[in-house]
Amino acid sequence: MDYLVAVLLPQLLHGLVFGAALGLLALGLTVIFGLLGVMNFAHGELYMLGAYAGIAVVGLTHSFWVAMILAPLSVAALGAVTEIVTLRPIYRREPLYGLILTFGLALVFREGARQIWGGDMRRILPPVTGSTPLLGMTYPNYRLFLLGASSVLLLLIWVFFTRTRAGVLVRAAVQDAEMLDGLGVNVPRLFTLTFAGSAALAALAGLLLAPVFTVYPQMGVEMILLAFIVVILGGMGSMGGSVVAALVIGIAQSLFALWMNPQRVAIAIFGIMIVVLIVRPRGFFGREGVLE
Amino acid sequence: MKRITCAVVLATVAVLVWVATPAVSQPKVVRIGDLGSKVGVFEGYGKYQTMGIQMAVEELNAKGGVLGHRIEVISEDDETKPAPAVRKAEKLILQDDVKLLVGVVSSGATMAVMDVTKKHKTIHWNSVSCAEFMRTTKFHKYYFSNQPDSRMQANGLAKYIIDRMGKRVYIFYTDYAMGQSDGRQFKTALERLGGEVVGVAGAPLDTKDFSPWFGAINTANPEVLFLAFAGTDSLRLMTQLHSFGMTRKYRLAGIDCFLLQQDLASIAEPMEGFVQLNHFSAYNPDTNMQAFNARFKKKFGVDANIAAGAYDAVHFWAAAVEKAKSFDPDRVALAHEGMCLDNTHIGRQCIRKEDHQVVMDMHLYQVKGGKNLPIARIAGTDSIGEPMVGKDPVEGFSWELKKKN
Repeated sequence: MDYLVAVLLPQLLHGLVFGAALGLLALGLTVIFGLLGVMNFAHGELYMLGAYAGIAVVGLTHSFWVAMILAPLSVAALGAVTEIVTLRPIYRREPLYGLILTFGLALVFREGARQIWGGDMRRILPPVTGSTPLLGMTYPNYRLFLLGASSVLLLLIWVFFTRTRAGVLVRAAVQDAEMLDGLGVNVPRLFTLTFAGSAALAALAGLLLAPVFTVYPQMGVEMILLAFIVVILGGMGSMGGSVVAALVIGIAQSLFALWMNPQRVAIAIFGIMIVVLIVRPRGFFGREGVLE
Repeated sequence: MKRITCAVVLATVAVLVWVATPAVSQPKVVRIGDLGSKVGVFEGYGKYQTMGIQMAVEELNAKGGVLGHRIEVISEDDETKPAPAVRKAEKLILQDDVKLLVGVVSSGATMAVMDVTKKHKTIHWNSVSCAEFMRTTKFHKYYFSNQPDSRMQANGLAKYIIDRMGKRVYIFYTDYAMGQSDGRQFKTALERLGGEVVGVAGAPLDTKDFSPWFGAINTANPEVLFLAFAGTDSLRLMTQLHSFGMTRKYRLAGIDCFLLQQDLASIAEPMEGFVQLNHFSAYNPDTNMQAFNARFKKKFGVDANIAAGAYDAVHFWAAAVEKAKSFDPDRVALAHEGMCLDNTHIGRQCIRKEDHQVVMDMHLYQVKGGKNLPIARIAGTDSIGEPMVGKDPVEGFSWELKKKN
């Protein structure tokens, strides 16, 4: 019983917090993939840029809350320009072009950040301080805020995709963009806005996790692998699947860390992915025809 | 025809003389290699290593270089990994023909590079890494160090912790060469002095979230939490320990390279009260340290830190070359042995002949208001321990906890 309360439950909470934030990052990735058919290798760098943009905004305004609005917006603007200038010309080409292009963009963004902000690790102070006695330990209030904020954001995104016209249009475009084009919807603009929205989500995840994990140019590289696993596990292009998979990965990672070296945890996570793909080749909620 | 031939020959000679003249008038150059982490978890140390080398080289070149040769520095990034470190070391030695290699930062990479410098008979100075194998089983005649290794650090720190901080200690270390070494040596020293290790845990290098280990630490209920981490790991760990209320719950102590002074300002609050072993601090009133720091700050605009030991490494090597009157590695290595220098960044220091370790005083600092303030000094002769070249420094060691009644 002691073990359950003192060890297992706190780990479960750590996993939930991390999984919810990972869900935000992975959701943007899966939407871009579902809609544009592009595995965006630069998504991790948009996550990183969100954190750096947050540092810049906090430096100017001394407000994390303002940064939560302005940082995602600035990264969304960068995402929109990137989509128009680089991705739009290659949509009709093979997926490999998108892979190579976004891989190149990731390098450009990462080294650009290093040139602008330097390679040193930076820290953003959490806007919510203090801690709360919980499950026999002192739990940081910011992590509880992170869990709450990520959950609310995921809920809002679900409402957007299911209850708003714009959201329905995006889902329709995921299903059949040509049909939507034929119905008179400005599909290129929809693509641009969706890419920008996904970039904003990644940026928001980067900013929210920055007070926990700190900020440095390679931070995106380290998260993107997990995000890819989440997207694959959840089912390529499935938004609900990504959220479920993010929570599964977050909790699994946290619990496995109790019993094994974290380097082996990474192997175990890959093991989960392999087992799921053997049993369900399209992931938890993957649809037929996507990447097939 | 003869005139034409003569004119052509003269012209050719003139051209050759003209072409050759600049080469003859060029000062002779000797290259030294600066190998270290330039990006990533240990880049702070790599950058300051480079600064220390640059400063020493400028001073030496201003006095005519070494043995009439102007010194040129070639810097390479080892990516904080053994394989690239070995590759870059080979490049520096074989392609650039460096006569001295200073580096690297991570202990694992340094030990890998030691094989290269041994194979190619290159003078190798380590000013940052601290694994205990470097002056024992991995030692070779061309290797020198002015970084206190794990054994020296443990000897310096364990007694203070037991006397002043508490006897029940939890050891949390970064799970690679440096952290394992520091953890092992500290456990050995602490238990020898009557302390109790109530728990040990290792987290991989570059861990992002340390919270999975916090439950085990709390369950062990130590008085002191001993931390063997470095670089960005330390920053992240302290931030997270603080957010979980553990910096107030336990007394905290750490190794020589736990946190650079430059990083302290950003986590002053979590670090308040932290006891850290260091051989250099810009806030130490020692006149030598202050004088060195003033010169360093004037040149680079920032305070120096422990990685500036690379400055001394270059000066030791240059003095040894002058003494040997040659760049021949065997003669230079021999000239190093037992050498003392008065003007190092922490005053007079000598190289112990047997294991090429610089005998250095250890200072204990406590963080107060974002500054490392000195609280104790341990003579280098008390902490260095017996030479153990060729002997296994971890023989008989076990991570197993010894329960006390």
